Amino acid sequence: MLDPAKTIAVTAIGVVSPYGLGSAALQAGLLAGKSCLAPDTELFPGFSGHVARVAALPAIAEVERYSRSDRLAMAAAEDACAGLPRELLRRSGIVMATTVAGLTEIEPEIAIDPAAWYGKAGLARAATYPISRVAASVGEHLGIEGPACAVSVACASGAIALALAANMLLDGEVPLALAGGSDALSAFTASGFHSLQALDPSPCRPFDKSRRGLNLGEGAAVLVLETLAHARSRGAEILAILRGWAMSNDAYHPTAPDTEGKGLASAMRLAMEMAGTGIDEIGYVNAHGTGTPLNDVAETRCYELVFRGRSTPIPVSSTKSHIGHCLGAAGALEAAITILAMRRSALLPTLRLADPIESQEVEYLRGAWRRQPLPAAISVSAGFGGSNAALVFGSPDA
Amino acid sequence: MSFNPTSITGFGSVTPFGPAAGLLSGLELEPETITAWPNATLRRAYQVQPFNPAKLVPGAKTRRLDRLSCWALVAASLALQDAGLDLDAIDRSRVAVLCATGFGCVELTESFYRSAALNGWSGTDPITFPETLANAPACHVALFHGLRGPNLTLGGENFAAEIALLRAASLLRHGQADHAIVIAGDALSPAVYQWYETAGLLSPACFVSDPPARAAGFVPSEGVAAVLLESGPSAERRSYAQFIGGRYARSGDPAQAIRDLFPSAPALVFSAGDGSPCSSDPPAGVFRSCAGQSFSSNDARIVASLPVADGLARSSGLFHLLLALSRRAGSGPALMLGTAAGGAFAALRLEVPSS
Repeated sequence: MLDPAKTIAVTAIGVVSPYGLGSAALQAGLLAGKSCLAPDTELFPGFSGHVARVAALPAIAEVERYSRSDRLAMAAAEDACAGLPRELLRRSGIVMATTVAGLTEIEPEIAIDPAAWYGKAGLARAATYPISRVAASVGEHLGIEGPACAVSVACASGAIALALAANMLLDGEVPLALAGGSDALSAFTASGFHSLQALDPSPCRPFDKSRRGLNLGEGAAVLVLETLAHARSRGAEILAILRGWAMSNDAYHPTAPDTEGKGLASAMRLAMEMAGTGIDEIGYVNAHGTGTPLNDVAETRCYELVFRGRSTPIPVSSTKSHIGHCLGAAGALEAAITILAMRRSALLPTLRLADPIESQEVEYLRGAWRRQPLPAAISVSAGFGGSNAALVFGSPDA
Repeated sequence: MSFNPTSITGFGSVTPFGPAAGLLSGLELEPETITAWPNATLRRAYQVQPFNPAKLVPGAKTRRLDRLSCWALVAASLALQDAGLDLDAIDRSRVAVLCATGFGCVELTESFYRSAALNGWSGTDPITFPETLANAPACHVALFHGLRGPNLTLGGENFAAEIALLRAASLLRHGQADHAIVIAGDALSPAVYQWYETAGLLSPACFVSDPPARAAGFVPSEGVAAVLLESGPSAERRSYAQFIGGRYARSGDPAQAIRDLFPSAPALVFSAGDGSPCSSDPPAGVFRSCAGQSFSSNDARIVASLPVADGLARSSGLFHLLLALSRRAGSGPALMLGTAAGGAFAALRLEVPSS
């Protein structure tokens, strides 16, 4: 029996994805099996690959003060908070993840002659650089006076933001928390992944034996979290229950995952233990699934560790095949996707998955989406630096 | 607000006072001329002087790391050493690492930008890129010591360190870790320094060695402080202070937060600056005005912040705490208060044992 005061409910989801604004657009795009990845040569001179862009970003006032990551976050937060009473919103907390923040607004010449660059570009653009700006921008935009916390843990950031917000709610620090992540496409990060030869020049193929790397995407997702008791007291619709969450680190390598997937497995087991769910109760894994050679094998080994003994292979897919890798936003976007999948009883496929990595324990979903009731599902994230996070969601009716 | 005391059992730091385990002594320090930046004109700052990390942390390989990552690794290692924690005797998957920073690995970020300016975005360095990520410092601490618990890098507009302390205590409270290393700090870089200068925030002391008294502006600083947090009676007995809890907000009434934290007046007030570059002591004034509303009488001793920590701006909280405890101003319930423009504040409650 869940204790409503100690149970975390998801009561709203705001999304800006390459499918457009709102979770309805995200759900429709995913169910249609539409890939947002498109050829791009504009990310930086010499770049040639596939990325997933957000085409139309809602206009936000005082644009100069805000980076693209800020504006993605502000739009997603506004979408999430559309029905919230202003006074409740004012007292809420914010936990927002980013890895890019204002890197989009800064040009390489800043490192050659900072004074000259500030003279030309002004100070405001550089002021968007700190990771804290995304959370602060959401606060400014929505008039939130509660605590604002920034998270930057590479590609696990968005999921970790949700985990920390859940802790804040259990601690009674805030009545309600906006948690999520936001990252824009930037030349800086694209150049970095390009230099590491981590990008697939073609549309990515997570979990396929022929995979060559990842494709970058951009977007933001903000989830409204509150205790079940609080949500019920104000008559809010409960979209899902965040039943368990956990974080871990591989302590293995600065960029490569533990080849056995032990760190991620540890986070998954802890989250499932917190949720009180056994391996047969988890109906779907929204994988990190970047499409890089090392990640997808390590992740497969992880699922074999966690789900060994399950009555049927665990259904797994990577929705990065639809919207690209949105870095600091990925964990939050994929949490939103996991909830949408549960609510729609839909097992989502990995696109372009022709020849999956072999595994007895894992069913790599491909082809069209499949209807199946999902009382519980797990979203997992991992990132450079070895950090991992796992979020177990449950249906409010379960 | 949930209270569940945790103990600060170790301090480590890499600051303009040098690398150190435990509390600091000899807190007099003048800013020095910056010589590390080839094109810099005469400018002064509180700087961390070069040192050999491997002499302090045998086996540490830091040549390719951002200075912030290097300092985080050294400061965290010194905090563990100071606490006397034998990592071989505990479950390393239960040790969390939290790093608070304003600007992250800004030095290598600038280096990456420089390579893009010189070689184009197609010619950047694959070794440098991962080291530009904000979570690289916390990652290197985990990697070096084999710490497999939660690994977090956090920021806040004004109070990144205070946020990290609160989140670390929360991890311990919820059984998500048994120990937490909390690290906070930033490194200066040419672009950061120039931003302050262009914005007109610097003190005349940045330009001349004998500035007029009470001049406006601040002197930039850099460095990292780290603490080890743990819970339980054994930890309490050997602690520098108990961390009870706290609150931070983008805007609001610090008096109410102080009342919530302190049933009666604190014995000590540690000023933690104003969360952005400052040369005055705004939190002390805020406390005095709050105190009249909150307590019938108050004779709390106010421990003013020091410029060397004020200059660290966004991530200065642990450095302020280290300096305040190093000054051995007394014992009892202590308020660590930071304030910032727009009504932002961070109020933490600690219990300082009598020595």
